[in-house]
Amino acid sequence: MASTSHRLNRVIWILAGVAAILIGWQLLSLFLPPVYVASPAASLRALGRLAWGSTLWIQVLITLKRLVVGLAVGAAGGWALGIASGLYARVRAFLEPIRWVGMTIPVVIVAGLAALWFGLGDFTVMVVVGLIVLPTMFVNTVEGIRAIDRDLVEMGRVFRFSRRLLLREVYLPGIASPSIAGLTLATGIGIRAVVLAEVLGAASGIGHAFSRASSWLETDVMFAWIIALLALMALIEFGVLRPVRRRALRWRKAEQ
Amino acid sequence: MIVFEHVSKSFDSLKVLNDVSFRLASGDILGVVGPSGVGKTTLLRLITGIIAPDEGSVQVAQGAVGYVFQEPRLLPWRTALDNVAVALRAQGMEKDGARVKAAEWLGRVGLAGFEHYHPAELSGGMAQRVAVARALAIEPAVLLMDEPFVNVDIDLKSSLMVMLQGLLAGGKTTAVYVTHDLTEALRLADRVIELQADRTVRELDLSDRAAVARDWFARASAQE
Repeated sequence: MASTSHRLNRVIWILAGVAAILIGWQLLSLFLPPVYVASPAASLRALGRLAWGSTLWIQVLITLKRLVVGLAVGAAGGWALGIASGLYARVRAFLEPIRWVGMTIPVVIVAGLAALWFGLGDFTVMVVVGLIVLPTMFVNTVEGIRAIDRDLVEMGRVFRFSRRLLLREVYLPGIASPSIAGLTLATGIGIRAVVLAEVLGAASGIGHAFSRASSWLETDVMFAWIIALLALMALIEFGVLRPVRRRALRWRKAEQ
Repeated sequence: MIVFEHVSKSFDSLKVLNDVSFRLASGDILGVVGPSGVGKTTLLRLITGIIAPDEGSVQVAQGAVGYVFQEPRLLPWRTALDNVAVALRAQGMEKDGARVKAAEWLGRVGLAGFEHYHPAELSGGMAQRVAVARALAIEPAVLLMDEPFVNVDIDLKSSLMVMLQGLLAGGKTTAVYVTHDLTEALRLADRVIELQADRTVRELDLSDRAAVARDWFARASAQE
């Protein structure tokens, strides 16, 4: 009962937050010229036009494909390297300068260099996304491995768990939570990176369409693409990441 | 079988064990007593092979080593059944057989019906019984217990001790039971060694257990 009331209270506050954004947006559009801020209604009309003409679906699918491939490769790479670094101090020391370079160079520079090396297109955008999300996933995984309960590792060694069994039964479940947190963070970074890379290094996708609308001063279309982007992120977060998290951490329900 | 020959162990500059020797035959139950910080856990860790002695040698019989820690140390993401089964799988048992045997052992420690509970859903005493089942299910050649019942209430401790006595009686398992409470050691063990402040060991003469207990408590009172 208390839990239902707590959940209801939370939903009410979330809806209040959404309402605050919409009201703020509406107020801005009333006080500023339409060329600066399109109203929610005008933006939704533009979104409807894009959806009707199928432009929306084509560009969203292009961006989604680039995001998913870049994210999958970058996150898997960061995760695997993070596990190796968490387990072996030498690997961690060796990769530390590379991690530092990876996390320090701004996305715009990575995108500029990728466009120079690989030209405009899918591959460039995927490379940018992969390179940007890899260090984030790497750092989260390393921290997850280092935070694993050493007593459980000792228990595994005493009971002569093989390296494989120790990894499967102790390390991997132990890093599930930081890995999923890292993936959520990486997805947020990845979606920003994919849009920027599409602005700089592609002739299609949401970023490119946004950039084109911007150069033609189609503010309502620009806002429509922002809505599409937010919807895409919501689909990934609520449709994929949260269910994965719930499934991977279902044992935690017992703790509650 | 466990043999310690002139074993010394230090951590940094702190000497934890100094010239420790003893020999246990198959089926012996050894009690190890002494106050906190005299190296009781270090002695167990040397037996497991997780750490090596600086001097001397430690020989342990071939076969599985079971360990009951002070706290249950169960995998929180696994059920009681899987926590026992995973230890069996580590010894090379196939999955289905491990689960059947794990269920059988949970029954023997009085946890039939709790197989699918996660550790967080069990009380401290129940979780410790899962840990006992895990250590015994692998039919260890050597069973190590590090103050296993220090965190459970006195009634439960008593019933767990009785259970352990029953499980170990007449078996071939060589057991080492570490405790700071001599009465526990006297109740369970055939032999008792005391780790002393100078980091050496002294074997207590158990021909008159009551006299040993009287002497122990007299010394404890004098120290207070």
